[in-house]
Amino acid sequence: MKIIVSLMLLAGISFYAQAQDDLSKLFDSTGVRHPKVLYTYKGTRIIMGHSTETLRKHELDFRVDHRFGDMAGEFGGVKTFYGMDNSTDIRIGLEYGITDRLMVGLGRSKGSGAQRQLVDVLAKYRLLEQTQDDHMPVSVSLLGTTVISCMTSEADPHQAAYFKDAADRMSYVAQAIVSRKFGILSLTLSPTFVHRNRVGYMDMNNLFAMGVGGRLKLSKRVGLIAEYYYPFRSNDSKDYYKKSTSLYNPLAVGVEIETGGHVFHINFTNATAIQETQFIPETTSSWLQGQYRWGFNISRRFTLFGKKDWKK
Amino acid sequence: MKSLICLLFLALLSSPLLAQDIFSSKNTHFSFFSSSPLEDIEAKTEKGVSAINIKTKAIYFKVPIASFQFRQKLMQEHFNQNYLESDKYPYAEFKGKVLDDADLSKDGTYQVTVEGILNLHGVDKTYKEKGTITVKGGNITAGATFNIRIADHRIDIPTIVVKNIAEVVAVTVNALYTVVNR
Repeated sequence: MKIIVSLMLLAGISFYAQAQDDLSKLFDSTGVRHPKVLYTYKGTRIIMGHSTETLRKHELDFRVDHRFGDMAGEFGGVKTFYGMDNSTDIRIGLEYGITDRLMVGLGRSKGSGAQRQLVDVLAKYRLLEQTQDDHMPVSVSLLGTTVISCMTSEADPHQAAYFKDAADRMSYVAQAIVSRKFGILSLTLSPTFVHRNRVGYMDMNNLFAMGVGGRLKLSKRVGLIAEYYYPFRSNDSKDYYKKSTSLYNPLAVGVEIETGGHVFHINFTNATAIQETQFIPETTSSWLQGQYRWGFNISRRFTLFGKKDWKK
Repeated sequence: MKSLICLLFLALLSSPLLAQDIFSSKNTHFSFFSSSPLEDIEAKTEKGVSAINIKTKAIYFKVPIASFQFRQKLMQEHFNQNYLESDKYPYAEFKGKVLDDADLSKDGTYQVTVEGILNLHGVDKTYKEKGTITVKGGNITAGATFNIRIADHRIDIPTIVVKNIAEVVAVTVNALYTVVNR
């Protein structure tokens, strides 16, 4: 009994002694409750598709995405300087963070599917954020995009770019983006729904696809990135396309470099198009036939407004 | 058994005494400012914590690095990812002592010198800085502004942005303490 008492007494003394000198013990149970995992990706895109990141409030992102021509194969090689003489698609866009969770964007791209001269409007909402204590194991963002083709309608009513009325020019994307960061590795699954009002013969108006992507950080400013989309086509559609134009699943690999204010992606992909409504269902070029191209995405972020509020 | 009761009694008796010695601050304000020819960088947070023991004069500060807010979120991103590496070193922590023999249990404003070790970016460095402690009606406020040389804490600034970031950063801290109730 005596031993127990003296032990307790000792414990008591040492606790008070500690409490008196080491004030850090006071805050063991306080602090941020579920600290968030920050910066799963450097930018709002992985390569072709979106990442879970959104712009923060008052941030403006000026983006230029570019895909060159085929590096090898029939249209590549030294005669086109490995594709650099051609460009299959270019998008110039402005995107803006309305709140820390909601961003909107407006872009103009050349287009590289059946429909060209595209204008896109997008909104992305950051629904959930991964926390360090796994209270929330993943980050989830939701993306909605509307794409309008501004090209002159084809004369032939069988073409995918024959527009009877304005609705035929529209395509849509709805996507959930689910990411998890494991230290230097970030992984993403993106279940995607593409709806095109006007498609070619035996093509599908509604198409589900699954995207997978990731980044491996090599240093503070450089990372390896990769992305792949698998569209779930119906057997009828698959069989038809086997006979005519071959369709391939888009695969992209690249390097992500951050240089102060810019995020720069150098990537290689078989997809010719930049818009989800086109590269997911309409990629007709193959890595195996040398029909891959290099491309780049440049993102430059600016902060607008809030200078006066900040000074206060 | 008797001695156990005695001990419990003692413990009960001693805790209110102790509580009056220790004051804590749950939302300590930290800010820093760096001025360079190209741009001024400013950030602030209210998420710091601090405590002071008016008897032993021990003083403690802790702040989560990722809680610093910048006007430019891109700067905040670089601050966390490239410079302070908040994934690896999530907190800055200071453990020190007030050197002067001011009686902090009495009302008044005291100019004090605090000495202690600051752990920032995983590097410990001893600082001896001046600050002000004001005691008024059971509340204590403390404030200080001091300089940190970023090189002292092994924070690397790449040569391309070296003109944008000053070598010395002025840090300001303000805390309002209330007595710890146990």
